[in-house]
Amino acid sequence: MTHDPRPVTLHPFTPFLLVLATALLAVLLPAPWGPVVLVVGATVIALLLGAFRQAGAALLLTLPLWIFLLILHGAMRGGEGWLAAVAQGSRLTAIILASLLAYRAFQPSRFLDAAATRGWSSSAALLVLATLQAAPRLRARVTRILEAQRSRGLQVRGRPLGRARALVPVTLPLILQTLGEVDARAMALDTRGVGSAHRTPLEIIRMHGLDWFLLLLALGATLLALIWRVLA
Amino acid sequence: MSAFTATGAGFRYDAGDAAALVDVTLSLNAGTVTWFTGAPGAGTSTLLLLAAGLAPLHTGGTATGVVSLLGENPQSAEGRERLAGRVAYVSADPASQLSGIAETVRREVAFAPANLGRQREQILASAARAMERMEIAHLAERAPASLSGGEQQRVAVASMLALEPGAWLLDEPGSALDARGRETLAAVLRDEANRGALVMVASEDADWLVGWSDRLIVMKAGQLVQDGTPAALLADPSLAETGAGSTAIATFARALAERDQRLASASYPVTVQDALERWA
Amino acid sequence: MSAVLEFDRVNFAYPGSDVSALTELSLSISEGESLALLGPNGAGKTTALRLAMALLHPVSGEVRVMGKATVGRMPEDVAGNAGFLFQRPEHQLFASSVREDVAFGPRQLGQDNIDEVVERALDQLELGDVASVHPYDLPAPRRRLVALAGVLALRPRLLLLDEPTAGLDRHSRLLVRRALAAHRAEAGAVVAVSHDGEFVLEALDRAVTLEHGRVVGDGGSAEALGRLGAPPAPAWARLVAQMGAAPAQWRFEPAVEFVAMRCRAAPDA
Repeated sequence: MTHDPRPVTLHPFTPFLLVLATALLAVLLPAPWGPVVLVVGATVIALLLGAFRQAGAALLLTLPLWIFLLILHGAMRGGEGWLAAVAQGSRLTAIILASLLAYRAFQPSRFLDAAATRGWSSSAALLVLATLQAAPRLRARVTRILEAQRSRGLQVRGRPLGRARALVPVTLPLILQTLGEVDARAMALDTRGVGSAHRTPLEIIRMHGLDWFLLLLALGATLLALIWRVLA
Repeated sequence: MSAFTATGAGFRYDAGDAAALVDVTLSLNAGTVTWFTGAPGAGTSTLLLLAAGLAPLHTGGTATGVVSLLGENPQSAEGRERLAGRVAYVSADPASQLSGIAETVRREVAFAPANLGRQREQILASAARAMERMEIAHLAERAPASLSGGEQQRVAVASMLALEPGAWLLDEPGSALDARGRETLAAVLRDEANRGALVMVASEDADWLVGWSDRLIVMKAGQLVQDGTPAALLADPSLAETGAGSTAIATFARALAERDQRLASASYPVTVQDALERWA
Repeated sequence: MSAVLEFDRVNFAYPGSDVSALTELSLSISEGESLALLGPNGAGKTTALRLAMALLHPVSGEVRVMGKATVGRMPEDVAGNAGFLFQRPEHQLFASSVREDVAFGPRQLGQDNIDEVVERALDQLELGDVASVHPYDLPAPRRRLVALAGVLALRPRLLLLDEPTAGLDRHSRLLVRRALAAHRAEAGAVVAVSHDGEFVLEALDRAVTLEHGRVVGDGGSAEALGRLGAPPAPAWARLVAQMGAAPAQWRFEPAVEFVAMRCRAAPDA
């Protein structure tokens, strides 16, 4: 399974627009406290949603960056350097965490339905989806291959050198299979009438009050930040 | 009118040395189940891909001759456009046939008719009916990727059933199914034929197909070599020369004849019932 | 005789699923034993195999391979004792030749006499003539045999096979059966999930039937299939059963002999 089947009430586009707003705000808001507030806000939202895995992943992903920034700016320049490091680190952490949260809420077929409700062509929506879905499919396949090779004694733990050796027995079947699957998948989508007509949304998905509220909030905040930037 | 015709059809894959199909001329009627068999590599799978317009489009290779499915040319872009949603293709590997996009079985089954822009109420109704007929209604809210191979195969068939197609092209559709699943699938395809659909099945599983197919076509090295009723061809000792397998009982009868010349006969029993009448 | 594989009141459910995949499974397989796991799709057969390979771990209860619990162990830790044949050989084949691929596992485990073991596995499955061919250049049935050779070369005491004869022709199936018989003769044990009734009858003595994750039958494979009276029992087995043959005769050769004798005895034959 690639996505948690939890009920999502937001419009499928809303999380992506919120990520965009977060990215804009991270750049526009006064450093370093603006970005810090964003990180804190995103973390609170993540914890309220129960997205502990995403919060953990964001921390893990940004940890090397934080260390690097703190050493480069903070330890080497002191005073102002510390603030610059915090600002830069917070910006990226906020964007990464927001993206992970959006991806968590992402449901491919709701996205398709939302696109179809808007009258977008299904091929375009599928192109977006295929890109977003490639990662989980690849991960599932790597899992299968790893299972097969570890059952033959392949060591994937331990020293980096050992792990590097494990690359070939995993990547080669992966490449060969992925090449083979491209054709099968194209056939499957072909026989399922993809792109041959205007897709019917199985569920009419429109923006609701919460979507508008969040988007207006994000838009308002972005505009205010922009105005502040211009005037300051 | 024939629902499928091939006239001098040939096919050659880019990689292979030998032709996959050689001068195939054939005409099939709607409302019948035609079963294709042969030794591995005999060309049954290629014939189905060619009929569906999937070869050479997705497989590469070169096609020659003329094929027609439901009155359209599946080898032309216009023909394929007019055939969209009217042809069900099911392969032996269920996992690669799922869309990979739908997060529930219900959405997977509704995926194809939705792509074709059919009416929402009609889609939901035909998807529900298709799940019912393939006995997967209880899996409707499950993730397709989390199902077992047999369950995925049922989903793959149901997602084609929801299209209410005019032609069925199936390549070893029972490979992952248990006995119950095969029974269900045979009954569904028999119903589809009775409804007036063309059904073409490539399978090496003689014991399964003998019970519900109308016509058997045996292929060897890309050519049609035998054509007749399943009961007659499976009973004929000459079937073995084509490399095609027969039913377990006919294979048993051949072993019996090899053991003891006096037990050889001009025709083998094909089913348990035939054999009981002969030997018990 | 010592147990090669034991399930001790094993419960298992897939993460995120509220349905139990296996419930209170208790089962013991000894040296030289061969076991078929039977049951409909989704009964938990493959799950049981995966638990034995430490690809999954029980929610409660214990799985022991050669007396050692799988808890806290990974498949590579169990690989010296158990070998798993997956349904899709494409998941494991990668080396530039059949011989190299078969040698991969024993090398990973640092075993000795690798050349000898590899040659023997290749011989057993009649792959000697293609030993230097790229595995992907072989037709699908022989690719499966290569995957099996790769598992045999690990010299595991326990063989775990998921639909080992799927897509195999008659001769390849015979090779698989012979290899399994040789494995058992050396005190090995076999557990297989198979819908191929003929293979079950010919190669596996004992059958455990699962339904909804619970054991509903445990006995001789001939009796288990005979009781079903329908596929996956092969038609000829159902025939001789109806003609009054005993379970010992529900294998292909003895069954042919049985019918031949009956026909010779009949006055009009």
